[in-house]
This record gives sequence, structure tokens and C-alpha cells, in this order.
Amino acid sequence: MPTPEVHHLFHNPIADHSFSPDKSTLAVARDSNVELYQKSGNKFSLTDELKGHEKIVTGVDIAPNSGRIVTCSQDRNAYVWERTPSGWKPTLVLLRINRAATFVRWSPSEQKFAVGSGARVIAVCYFEEENDWWISKHLKKPIRSTITTLAWHPNSVLLAAGSTDSHARVFSSFIKGVDTRPEPSAWGERLPFNTICGEFLNDSAGWIHGVSFSPSGNALAFTGHDSSITVVYPSAPEQPPRAMLNVTTRLLPFNSLIWNGENEIIAAGHDCEPYRFGGDESGWQLTGTIENKTGPGAGSAREESALHMFRQMDLKGQTQADTQLKSTHQNTISTVRVYEETNGVLSKFSTSGVDGRVVVWTI
Amino acid sequence: MSQLNYRTINIDVLDPDSSINFPMDTLLPATLPPPTTSSAAASVASEVRQLLRGGDPEGALRHVLDTAPLGGDDRAKEVHLAAVTEVLQGIRQGEMSRVLEGVCTGDGGAERADCLMKYLYKGMASPVSGAGGAQSPRKSVSPQGTGFSQIQGRNLGEGGGGQQMSVLLSWHEKLVELVGTGSIVRVMTDRRTV
Repeated sequence: MPTPEVHHLFHNPIADHSFSPDKSTLAVARDSNVELYQKSGNKFSLTDELKGHEKIVTGVDIAPNSGRIVTCSQDRNAYVWERTPSGWKPTLVLLRINRAATFVRWSPSEQKFAVGSGARVIAVCYFEEENDWWISKHLKKPIRSTITTLAWHPNSVLLAAGSTDSHARVFSSFIKGVDTRPEPSAWGERLPFNTICGEFLNDSAGWIHGVSFSPSGNALAFTGHDSSITVVYPSAPEQPPRAMLNVTTRLLPFNSLIWNGENEIIAAGHDCEPYRFGGDESGWQLTGTIENKTGPGAGSAREESALHMFRQMDLKGQTQADTQLKSTHQNTISTVRVYEETNGVLSKFSTSGVDGRVVVWTI
Repeated sequence: MSQLNYRTINIDVLDPDSSINFPMDTLLPATLPPPTTSSAAASVASEVRQLLRGGDPEGALRHVLDTAPLGGDDRAKEVHLAAVTEVLQGIRQGEMSRVLEGVCTGDGGAERADCLMKYLYKGMASPVSGAGGAQSPRKSVSPQGTGFSQIQGRNLGEGGGGQQMSVLLSWHEKLVELVGTGSIVRVMTDRRTV
């Protein structure tokens, strides 16, 4: 496979990253700012900073069509940024939460976005024309702890959420006047706001770190702190799922996952490299890694002279400095995102992590 | 008339939003086996002892892990822990790898491996679970009132506890080699405690 495209932006953790649809702009959350990078040649250089949040920014998302950027932060606020001739202009969103905002994503329709928070609610935000601002409605009912992650169904009504109460849930976020009535699916037929279309718990529990709908929206995958991924195939509204398949691994926990078609999932996390899972309704399994690690890590071992060896032993107590991981990312991967796809099948995806790197992988 | 000392009230208990009041039973999956009693655990222990005496350590370990009282009360769990410890101590160092491979592969092998890891950590956490549960739990003695007992710590290193600990540690090493770090992480997340 081709070598991944690595952009080492800085030496700070990247909480979240997002590419613009033409891939020329990259937004990354760094501390309490969001930095915008422009592609020039095959490098990204810093062009703009979105300043406004007072605490660590936890989520950033660029809407593919409108180009609006939504950000959320531990200061309990979310902003929608729009490009004006005089620069990026923020609009405050009325989230009405009393704890940190943890995660934000635009719905595929771009009419709404959802913000997860530590206040045990999900704020579903939409634009109100009359008052000219973004307001929110809260999804509250069975959530017992902080929302850590969110994912939208392709119909922009169903919303999957993972929480530190170890449950992955599917809600309806239908808002009258904003959404069009969705097609009935296995998740539900009538979907008023805050309908619970599914609530899932692993045998070994663990905080949920990542959720994702399959490209068709007819399956849900989630991963938690128990180093496993779980795939759920719903059967019919109000019925137990047709299949709920759990794959436990020998690896460290995953933080984020995405689908590649209906039969492959890519997940990455504390093991610093992306892994593939393959399967269908009859069963899933870990099929391997994306990374081909015989390359840079092993090849970087240089010729060792005796002098060099003894000097290293004297200085560091070891002959070779083994502080480098063999993987491309040198620390935990926190976000995996789709970069390029056709009909749900990926050709490229991007990852960002605690090491300040954004990597674009070709499958 | 008693004066109420407001500074000693644990206000977290009174706050419904506090993490202390989190309903832990919501983390238990629906597939939890029905509760077992300590007498059931004791009968498992005698079955296991027979298997062990009959020269089938693999079968003994497999059986004792399959019958773990995930839904049992504390007493049943204690009795079962003693049985597991007995099996682990009854298997020779040289046989460990072979037995583990047998137990942790095949149908349900991953669950057995996770279950064994839970017992290893539980065994290492409880200082007094001697062989066969013969010793009664000692009261922790804390002369300085700091909650930290030096006496007990010293006994651990020299007495039978130290030997048990080394057995558990060598099992731990072998098990991690076989099933990886994921199993350790699951010990921390899993609420189906042993």
C-alpha cells in the first residue's frame, strides 16, 4: 500500500480535526483555539486562527456544502463560524448546558448539528430564522452520564451517541419545520423528537469512545474502553436487534471508528495505528492492520560504529534509542475520519492524535 | 442535645446528580447468569479438586472458570476465588503454558481468559485468600489511624502470601503473552465481577 501522507503540525494534542470538502483547508482543535491550515504544495501551513473559546476546544467540524465551521469547547459554548470578507465571524449557539461540551458534528443535511456534553444531554441545534440565531433542543431522557461521542445517520434524523455510562444509544432528533419526515427503517417508523430507537450495552461495559452508522444506516458500530468493537443490526422498531456482534481484541482500547462499505470497519486508538475489522451479520473479526510497519521504523536503524554504541551505552544506558514507535502516529489516535469515498466505500481516510500529527491514509 | 456538625455531612450522597449515586447495576448486561449461592460454589470447588487429583489440570481450570459466580453474592465469590487459587497453585510452572493454551482457545476461550484475568487481579488485591480459604480474613491493623497498615504489608512479603503472589504473577505473565493487554483493560471495565 502507498505510504501515508503525514502532516506533523505541532507538538500538542489534536482533540479533533476536519478537512474542507476540497481538502485544501484543514481545521484542527489545539488548546483553546481552532487553527486553520491551507494546503500549499504537499504541505499545510497555518493561515487563520479561530479565537473565542476560553477553555480547551473539544470538537470541530466543517460543513461540506456551506463551509460553515462549528466548534465546541469545555467552556460550555459552541460557535458557528462563517467566512466574511473581514475574516471568520463567530455566532454563539444557545446550548443551555452547565457542563463542558465534548463533541460536535453537523448533520448530513447541514440544517442541524448535535453537541454532546457532560451535563448528560445532547443539544440538537438548528437555526431559527425569526430570531436570527442557533438554538438547541435537548435529548435527555435515559442518558445517565457524559456524552463522549456522536454520529449521524444518513437521514439526518437519527443520531447515535456514546456515553460514559457504557451505553450506545440511537435517538431521533426530528425537529418540526427543519427536517423532512424520514423513510421508515429498521430503527423506527414514527420518530418524534427524543424517541429512543436503540440502547446497547456490551457484556464487558466500558466507556463508549466511538460510534458510527454504516453507509446505508442499517447497522451501528461502537467501540468502548473494553478494547472491543460491537456491531448492531436492528430488526424492527421496539424489537431486540437481529444481531449484536462483539469482537474483543488483545489490543489497547480504540477511540474512534468508521465504516468502509458495509463489511469493513476501521478503528484506531491507544495502540497508535489503525486496524481493520471485517465481517457481516453472521460474525465479525479483526483482520489486520492498515499500516505496513516494516518500512520506516525498521529501516531507520543506521549503521552502528563501536564508538557510537559505547557512547550511547554511556549516555543512555542502552545501545539504541528506542523512544520511537514503529507506527506513523507516535501517540494515541483520537479521531478517525472519512477523507475520500464513493458510495460509502473509502479510498482514503484521515487520523489525528495526541502527537500533533494528521495523517491521510490510502487504502 | 446533639450538635450537628455540618462539615462532616457527605453532601455528595444528597445530590442526585453526584457520581456516588450512579446506578451501577445499569452497567450489568442482560446476559448475566442467575445468582449462585456459596454452597453451589463449594460443590464446584469439590468437583474441581477431584479433576485436579485425577490429573486433569486443564479440565479443572476450564471448569472453575466456566462456573464463575458472576451473579453470585460476596460469599459465593469468596469461596470460588479460593477454588480458583487452589487450581492455579496446583498446576506446575512447566505446565502453565500448555494448560493456558488449551483453556483459552476454542469455544468461549476468550471469555475464560478474561475471567482468569479477573481472578488474577482479585487474587493479587486480596492479601488473605490463602489456599483453600483456610485462613480467616484478618482485620487490618492500623496503629497510626492513617488507614495504612505497615504490619500487614510486611507479613505479605515473607509469609505464604508472597508465595501465592508469585504464582499469580507468573500466571499473569503467561496469560498476557497469550491474550494481550486487552484482557487487562477489560478487567477494569467489566462490572460482572468475580
